[in-house]
This record gives sequence, C-alpha cells and structure tokens, in this order.
Amino acid sequence: MTPDLVYLATGAGLGALALWRLTTSSDPLRRVLALNVLAVGIAMILLAAAHGPGGADAVPQAFVLTGIVVLVAVTAALLALAETLGPRGD
Amino acid sequence: MTAVFDILLAIGILGCAAAALAVRERTAAIAAFMVAGLLVALSWVRLGAPDVALAEAAIGAGLTGALLLRSARRLGPVRPRSVGWPVLGSAAILSAALAATLAWAVASSRGISSYQSLVAERLSESGVTNPVTAVLLNFRAWDTLLEIAVLSVALMLVASVGTARIRFDRLGEMMLPCARIVVPLLVLVSGHLLWLGSSDPGGAFQAGAVLAGAGLVLVMSGHVPTAGRAVDIARVVGLSGLAIFVIAASAAQVLTGGFLQFPPDVAKAWIIAIEAGLTLSIAATLVLLFLGLSRHSRS
Amino acid sequence: MTNLLMVPGLVLIAAGLWFLLIAALGLWQFPDLMSRLHALTKADTAGVALVALGATCLTASLSDAVVLLLCVLLVAVSGATTGHLIARARLKDTET
Repeated sequence: MTPDLVYLATGAGLGALALWRLTTSSDPLRRVLALNVLAVGIAMILLAAAHGPGGADAVPQAFVLTGIVVLVAVTAALLALAETLGPRGD
Repeated sequence: MTAVFDILLAIGILGCAAAALAVRERTAAIAAFMVAGLLVALSWVRLGAPDVALAEAAIGAGLTGALLLRSARRLGPVRPRSVGWPVLGSAAILSAALAATLAWAVASSRGISSYQSLVAERLSESGVTNPVTAVLLNFRAWDTLLEIAVLSVALMLVASVGTARIRFDRLGEMMLPCARIVVPLLVLVSGHLLWLGSSDPGGAFQAGAVLAGAGLVLVMSGHVPTAGRAVDIARVVGLSGLAIFVIAASAAQVLTGGFLQFPPDVAKAWIIAIEAGLTLSIAATLVLLFLGLSRHSRS
Repeated sequence: MTNLLMVPGLVLIAAGLWFLLIAALGLWQFPDLMSRLHALTKADTAGVALVALGATCLTASLSDAVVLLLCVLLVAVSGATTGHLIARARLKDTET
C-alpha cells in the first residue's frame, strides 16, 4: 500500500461522511462544518493524485491552496448570513 | 513501517471527522474538526505538499475553527428534526457511491495528466524556485487575482450584513502579557514565511494567516479599538490587496504587452512586492471576517 | 557526535511521550474540568519540552535548536493562557 492510495481512500471517506451529513442535518452550523470537511476530502483526493514518484505536482497544490482561502471566505459569509437569518423552522 | 503510520493517521482523520459530524454538542464537534484539520495537515506533509499543509493548519483548522466557535453560541439552539430511516439510509448509500466513484475515477486515471514537467521546464523564467509560488503568482496568477476578489467580496458582504459584537473585556488580564510575547514572535514568523515563500514552503497566504492570528491576539488583549477609525483603516488595507494586484497586472500589461506577464529578469521583485501587499491585505481581511463588524453592528 | 547524542535524544523523546500519554489519560479519566486542566496544562508543556530537547539532541544543529526552542516557548505561553482563560470562564459561569 503506497501512501497516496491510503490518502485517496481517506479523502473519499471524508467526502462520503460530509455529503451524508450535509444532506441529513438541519443545523446550519453543522452544515457549514460538513461543507468544510467535504472540501478537505476533495483537497486530499487532489493531493493524493498529484503525489508521484518524482515529488508532488505543483499545479494541484496551487488549486488546493486557492481552495482553502476561498473556503474560509465562504465560511465567514455563510456564518454571518446564518446569524442574521436567525433560528427558523424547517 | 511508514505504511503503518499512514494507516493510523488515516484512521485518526476519519475518526475525528466522524466525531465532528456526529457529536451532538457543538463545541465538542468543532474541537474534533480542528483536531482533524491538524491531522490532515500532517498527512499532507506525508504527501509531499508542505505549502498546503501550512495553509491548512493555519487557515483550515485554526481560523475556520475560530469562526465556527464564534458562531456556535449565537446560532439558536438546534431543533432536532426527525429524519426517517429510509431517508438516512438512501442518503448514506448515495454519498458513499458518489465518493467511491470519485476515488475510482482518480485511481484509474493515474499518470494521464501531469503538469510537473511543464512547471519544471519554465521554472527558471518565473523568478522563484518554489514551484507552488511560481504557479500561484506567475503561471496561474489569474486564479490568485480572482481568489483575492472573492476574499474582498466576502469582506464587503460581512461588513454590510454585520454580526453581533464580541465582548473581549471578559477575557481578563492574562491576555496582555500573552500578547506581549506572542505578537512580536508571530510578526517575525509571518515575515519569515513571506520571504521564504520564493524558495521554500511558505508564501503570502500562510504569512497572512499568521499575521491575522497576531492581529486577533492584539484585538483580544483590548489594545486595539474595534470601532471608528481603526476599523476603517483595516477595511482599506483589506481591500487594497485587490487594488495592488490589479495595478501590478495593468503595469505588466503596459511593460510586456501581456496581462499578468511580469518581465522575466525582475520577476522575483514583482512577486515579492505583490506578495508583501497581499500578506497585509489577507491578514486585515481575515481579522475583519472574524470580528464581523458593520457600521451599524447590533450590540 | 551524532551517535553519542543518539541515546540521550531517544530517552528524552520517550520521556516526553510518556508525559503526553499521562496528560491524555488525565484528560480522559478525571471527573471535572478543573482537574482535567490541571493534568493537561502542566504535563503537556513538560512533554513537548522534553520531545523538543530530544529532537535537538538528534539533529545536533544550532539553527534547528532555535526553531524548536521557539516552538516550546509558544506552546508554553499559549497553554498557560488558554488554561487560565478556560478556568476563568468556568469560575465566572459558576458565580452568576
């Protein structure tokens, strides 16, 4: 088992857990958390695919770095909106 | 031996993520999420991506965790909704199938597309020797420009919506001695990361996140006002990153005739200058996103 | 030189790991927040310091030693401050 296969499976597992929670939870905070876990899972799949015998490919790394920064902006915006909307029924 | 380490780490990551998504109490879930983020950063070092690991540890685990903790008490109590077993089961099957398909697609397409040789070929023209920085600020600078635009949009959205004020006065007198030690060290580490980014793991985003941490410690110690002129200045600094980037891109257009194509022999100076501006702007943006101040904040 | 420092380095790292293990056990087993904090803050800081000292012996390089010292300092300061803040928040909650 090479490390990239282990982490490819981990990324897929994180994605599955997050998708399941994203679709079944009614708590806005938990949904934002699930979105973050989903992004981490996809980033891990990208990085595992980028990892080769001659080192890691720089382009997927740059994608993931961009994704992390965009995600924190999205998280802050979503939380501000959720706080403004307040509690609501389903 | 190393495979054992990888598998243990993978189990730890999946366990923490499952706890973050399943634990009923919000604070415990966020704590599990932050631990998972740090373990993920460790695993990315194992995958040979230390730049991304630094960013994940500082932004993905640290700042996102702080944002979530801030909101955990403010969002109203959880209203348990009864979801039937058929819904839960079908959602589980569908998400597992989707993730398995994704993993299978990636695993079977191994080695088809690789930018590694392309990047290595042109690396000497980029002005820096860290390939990730070369991609971010030279080859694919368009992506980074638009990423800064996204940050600015989020900043404006949070500033116009506004969130409740955080009361730091309850933190007590221990924050000031802590700030006296931690803030100078963080400024030093941030400058080190920025300078290192051209040749070794590091760069504007990691440096900006560390500087944002220093800014938050300063605000928490009560020595920076969270109203009035200080906030206006921080907002201008936060939005200036986009302006600097656009000005640099236009100047490069005039000088070389290509949008975001820096003159090759002085490319390093351009990249360092843009990154220094971006570091300050990212730090100010992240602090403001956490504080969530608006002109008419509700108290 | 490195061989000479290898054994004490490994012993120090093992001692540090033992401290960290005790801290984790305390966090898991102690009944209330205050005693958990007591177990965590002190054993944690000591464990990290011992592991860093052992790593310094293993690398035997001055520049790495400075970085490790910085790590230990930051862990000590942040551990002490967060421990104080958590205890303070609990005391305020029980007062009101």
